[in-house]
Amino acid sequence: MITLSHYLVLGAILFALSVVGIFLNRKNLVIILMAIELLLLAVNMNFIAFSYYLDDLAGQVFVFFILTVAAAEAAIGLAILIVLFRNRRSINVQDLDQLSG
Amino acid sequence: MESILFYLFATVLVVSAAMVVTIRNPVKAALFLVLSFFSAACIWMTLEAEFLSIALVLVYVGAVMVLFLFVVMMLDIDVESMREGFARNLPVGALVAGVMVVEFAVVMMSDRFDSQSLPRPAGHGPDYSNTKELGLVLYTDYVFAFEVAGLILLVAIVAAIVLTMRRRPNTRYQSPSEQVKVNKSERLRIVSMPAEKRLDIDN
Amino acid sequence: MGWIMTTWDSLPLILQLGIKIGFIVGPLIVAVAYYTLAERKVIAYMHVRVGPNRVGPRGLLQPIADVLKLMFKEMIIPSKSDKYLFLIAPVLAVTPAFAAWAVIPFSGTLVLADIDAGLLYVLALTSMSVYGVIIAGWASNSKYAFLGALRSAAQIVAYEIAMGFALVGVLMVAGSLNLNTIIQAQSGGLHQWFFLPLFPLFLVYLISGVAETNRAPFDVAEGESEIVAGFHVDYSGMGFAAFFLAEYANMLMISALTVILFLGGWNSPFDFPPFSWLPGVFWFLAKLSVVAFLFLWFRATFPRYRYDQIMRLGWKVFIPVTLIWIAVIGAFKFFTPFGFIFS
Repeated sequence: MITLSHYLVLGAILFALSVVGIFLNRKNLVIILMAIELLLLAVNMNFIAFSYYLDDLAGQVFVFFILTVAAAEAAIGLAILIVLFRNRRSINVQDLDQLSG
Repeated sequence: MESILFYLFATVLVVSAAMVVTIRNPVKAALFLVLSFFSAACIWMTLEAEFLSIALVLVYVGAVMVLFLFVVMMLDIDVESMREGFARNLPVGALVAGVMVVEFAVVMMSDRFDSQSLPRPAGHGPDYSNTKELGLVLYTDYVFAFEVAGLILLVAIVAAIVLTMRRRPNTRYQSPSEQVKVNKSERLRIVSMPAEKRLDIDN
Repeated sequence: MGWIMTTWDSLPLILQLGIKIGFIVGPLIVAVAYYTLAERKVIAYMHVRVGPNRVGPRGLLQPIADVLKLMFKEMIIPSKSDKYLFLIAPVLAVTPAFAAWAVIPFSGTLVLADIDAGLLYVLALTSMSVYGVIIAGWASNSKYAFLGALRSAAQIVAYEIAMGFALVGVLMVAGSLNLNTIIQAQSGGLHQWFFLPLFPLFLVYLISGVAETNRAPFDVAEGESEIVAGFHVDYSGMGFAAFFLAEYANMLMISALTVILFLGGWNSPFDFPPFSWLPGVFWFLAKLSVVAFLFLWFRATFPRYRYDQIMRLGWKVFIPVTLIWIAVIGAFKFFTPFGFIFS
């Protein structure tokens, strides 16, 4: 018998994994972007589970908007990444110190 | 059946998510992210969210991750310099992750939250159309948010193009309208030449 | 006859599904094999040649000989390649090409899964086919393969948008995502089929379908004379056969979708006898063959586009055309009394 908390714990595991992913790969911008996508997936998982167990479509509508915004975020993030690589020949976060006065 | 499917997809999801954040090669990280999106879509399918499940595959697997793969493959990323400190931080990271999961689980399993005793809904009949229901809500109650989402996507398109476009004066472009517009007088020159004198080829 | 039904019902569900899937995949593989023969024959006759005619009567056993040859050839794995990804890539190319057939209605009742969002499912699966290409190109660790993969992936992604918009037009007119409902909306004869009111979208869909499957004249991903064979240059034996199978299955898939969405699916072209006596499966397969023939005809007729021309056609011509036609459909349906044209 799969209960709501199964899905919530699954979401929590995903969330923790992606937070730790950002923490571990804090120098690699691409992996950070991927971890953010994973983070949003964890949130979406909870929304869908709640939507199903409470029989309320509002949760799915939220997921719809999160997907939209996350896709936009990924597109712009990758565009910035490419511009960055063009200018600095690196995507290491530590190399981004031009503004540090 | 439900539990078998859930545990199968959840295991794949968690393992591939763990690979995303730990694997050395960014291309493989992106591919594992694809796998985790796909298994998440499968889990959503069992939760009667067919539209979003297919949309996740369509949008993320079909478009966003291809973009990621493109960028990762094209950029010449120096992985080694960016992984320094990875092994040192791994135990701390694992600890933090473990604590987070335990905390979440304690809250969610607690009696106060009471999410375990919530009965699993019977599910809708075969005539239930998730796409239709979602559309009915989306275009009525949430129509303003829907329009704003469209605007955000438009801004994202424009921003991505503006950021990455660069003028390269040395590349040659083809201009079909120019090609179509040319007329005979621009391309063809009729030269009248006197006929050459016949050579004596006998000798 | 009765005992067949009773034994069928007593089988477990998973076995029933397996048998049904076998009945789709088996003929599909045979169809793909003979499609390759048809391609060689058709192009040969268009070039005033004869084509394969040595194996079996009139060369009819040629595909079987080809399959046997590919099966017994050694599959070479380049030593500098990424072995796992190199082996997974052909599987990833074949799987979506076959899985998409699950929702194709061959007739009113003959469909494996009559799911509600069938069109979305097909779109999602065709969008996954790019992974086989991109992974094959990357895992081969070769410049030609990688260039081919990048070209192909960019092309597939670009034309998918145009295709998706063309489908939006169809759903606006049909009012459903279910493939069978879309076909039923076109019943009543030739003049009811969607290719008439949606003619620009029909053309865009057909041409995008050719580009999506990387076929000539949009085959820069393979581009024999430029980058050898593109993404599958390092594959041999069964790996190569799998990519081959996926390409032709995808072509048949696009043909089937064109028939379903624009050419009335299993509806007969005239709604009176003797045309209406023939079963729907016949009409579906007949139309599918015609569209599949177009793919071969294109290949024998047109020279290859240059890469920047392909990209310009996709982004600057097809996407605006589909967007404008969608706006036209919407405006006609809701603001003018001529909405019946689009229904």
